[in-house]
Amino acid sequence: MIQPGQILSGSNQGPSGQPLLEARHLRKDFPLRQMNIIGAGKVVQAVEDLSLNLFAGRATALVGESGSGKTTVARMLAGIHIPTRGELLFAQQPVNVKSMRERKKYLRQVQYIFQDPFSSLNPLRSVRYHLSRPLRMQGHARNSREVEAQALVLLEKVSLTPARQFLDKYPHQLSGGQRQRVSIARALAVRPSVLLADEPVSMLDVSIRLDILNLLLKLKEEEGLAFLFITHDIASARYFAEETQVMYAGQMVEGGPSDEVIRRPRHPYTRLLRAAAPDPDRMAQNMGDEVTGDVPERGEPPSLVNPPKGCRFHLRCPHAMEICRQSFPARTDFGGGHWANCHLYSSNLDVQTTRATTGG
Amino acid sequence: MVQSVHSNLDVLLDVQHISVVYDSPDGEVYAVNDVSFTLRRGEILGLAGESGSGKSTLAYAISRLLRSPARVTGGRVLYYPRTRETVYSTSLPSAGEEYKDVLSMTRKELRIFRWSELAVVFQSAMNALNPVATIQAQIMDVLRVHRPGLSRDQRHARAAELLKLVGITPERLKSYPHELSGGMRQRAVIAIALALSPEIIIMDEPTTALDVVIQRDILTEVMRLRQQLGFAVIFITHDLSLLLEMADEVIIMYAGRMVEKASRKALRQHALHPYTDGLLHTFPTLEGPIVRMTGIPGTPPDLRMVPSGCVFHPRCKKAWGKCSTVRPVLLPSPAGVGSAGQQVACHLYTGTGRDEELRASEIVFRKQGGEA
Repeated sequence: MIQPGQILSGSNQGPSGQPLLEARHLRKDFPLRQMNIIGAGKVVQAVEDLSLNLFAGRATALVGESGSGKTTVARMLAGIHIPTRGELLFAQQPVNVKSMRERKKYLRQVQYIFQDPFSSLNPLRSVRYHLSRPLRMQGHARNSREVEAQALVLLEKVSLTPARQFLDKYPHQLSGGQRQRVSIARALAVRPSVLLADEPVSMLDVSIRLDILNLLLKLKEEEGLAFLFITHDIASARYFAEETQVMYAGQMVEGGPSDEVIRRPRHPYTRLLRAAAPDPDRMAQNMGDEVTGDVPERGEPPSLVNPPKGCRFHLRCPHAMEICRQSFPARTDFGGGHWANCHLYSSNLDVQTTRATTGG
Repeated sequence: MVQSVHSNLDVLLDVQHISVVYDSPDGEVYAVNDVSFTLRRGEILGLAGESGSGKSTLAYAISRLLRSPARVTGGRVLYYPRTRETVYSTSLPSAGEEYKDVLSMTRKELRIFRWSELAVVFQSAMNALNPVATIQAQIMDVLRVHRPGLSRDQRHARAAELLKLVGITPERLKSYPHELSGGMRQRAVIAIALALSPEIIIMDEPTTALDVVIQRDILTEVMRLRQQLGFAVIFITHDLSLLLEMADEVIIMYAGRMVEKASRKALRQHALHPYTDGLLHTFPTLEGPIVRMTGIPGTPPDLRMVPSGCVFHPRCKKAWGKCSTVRPVLLPSPAGVGSAGQQVACHLYTGTGRDEELRASEIVFRKQGGEA
């Protein structure tokens, strides 16, 4: 059982064994519809080069602003989008998501939790129906008696109790938090080993967010599920996930153990995310100064149809150098699994490195 | 007691005993119950609470934006203008009066009061803007109606000035809402609210649908504009962590009632109400050990069937005998507890009786335990 006040373990331990789900160098381009047939087709370069590993009983958080490509990543992992390049491995076996049969097999293991519980449930159908579909389609339940018995267990598991009372409710009779629990129960009905949670709490009230996060933590720890946790709130990434990877405009910019990445961010973009997060300890007087200086004040992710060359963050970066406009930086390792793709830390630029490390 | 506050020139809005009900087929639903507070010039007042706590209903009652089935059943909202003879508000308030009750304003007076004196920034910037009109048209429209003296060129210049004020280049005047990003749309909505230089701006969850970075931009902008223009803000949000950073005073609402009012600092140091304390422990932190948090057990009550006594008692870890029967009233915190000016509605602080009762219940408990 989860004890209140218990210090979360796991974040310091490295992953044990092989990853359950592995993404290697995924790339996704979305073609744009065009009038001009002869010209070269324009594409939205949504995700450039993404690799990540999901382990049983552990979570990897994918952090970034809207438009950073994090949802595209989740959808590639869920087999909704076919990657333009790169490969997916489940339990060390390559997955061919183009094959209907393999995809079906794969989706038995990998399930998706959507962001908006108001639009991810069918308003005309009861909770019982939502849970019965996956149970029957996956052959876990053969008749309505089995459906009911298993649906009750699922509802208990997501703490919708008394379960029987919820079975015949419709989405409009449920609160946002309760709906999100139903959609989690629906994902669990498939009996997956990996859950892809796309901003599962950002549509909910602050007080309900914690309940849902704790429910997901329980599933992670007690059921040993592997999680991809997508969020723009780095504080909840630190709370929920052992690993964090930061994305900007389709590029991976930093990653490593969550606590390390969030408390000692190296990449200027991660620093911006950190400075932007609400922090009750910060006094209002400093609010203006805090965001200037080392951290860029404002700006928005660039268009991904013609993304900037080199590091895509250079347009907003206070430390941008000539080389940032030319080439995407190689990965720098800081030890302990913490890495960043930033020219400030490239070994041939020692002067800049000192400047950046003292700046934070 | 309240009268002495009136002479204070600082007071901009004095809200007294506001109650709002929603008429429903099953009877009246009490959405806001007897809420009183004052808003001072240039102050940022935070209204925090979960969905359904009545924070938006309260704000709309103050701005007279409620429509049937909502009904204000009591109270006064006294507005104290800075000077009585501004060019446009000669009728506000009438001669000899220091204040005007917003709830008894005529339609004509309301028309002047709203936007010129009090503006509202709604939650969803996409819905607040007209999708088929340019930003320029929407700002100039406000000026055309409320400042008929201005020429077209003057209106255009003012529109450009307003956009610049919120950090958007005036070239964007010709843009339609869908051509702007979420953050820019919210800035445009703020620019429109500022069009007539109001004294009060009500912001209803202005950043809830936005990303953290854009949220930070907007909040910094609001703080800067307040410094520059001196308006007061009523800031509604469910995210208490934002208010702890920016609000001067914070009101915590629960099930249509004020349960605590305190300065930002006091809340941070010693929140008195168990509900406030719970809210303070619902958001993960950026520093320190990662500790499993519990939040507040249970869900807010259905307002058609509020619990007896303290409305929070079914979810309260510190509830004792009296809590389920006697409704606590909002009182200044007793000497030695909390900060000056801090108010709380909780039996933990009403002094006498609690310790005796606890001891008595313990004895009863032991007796029962012994028999069983």
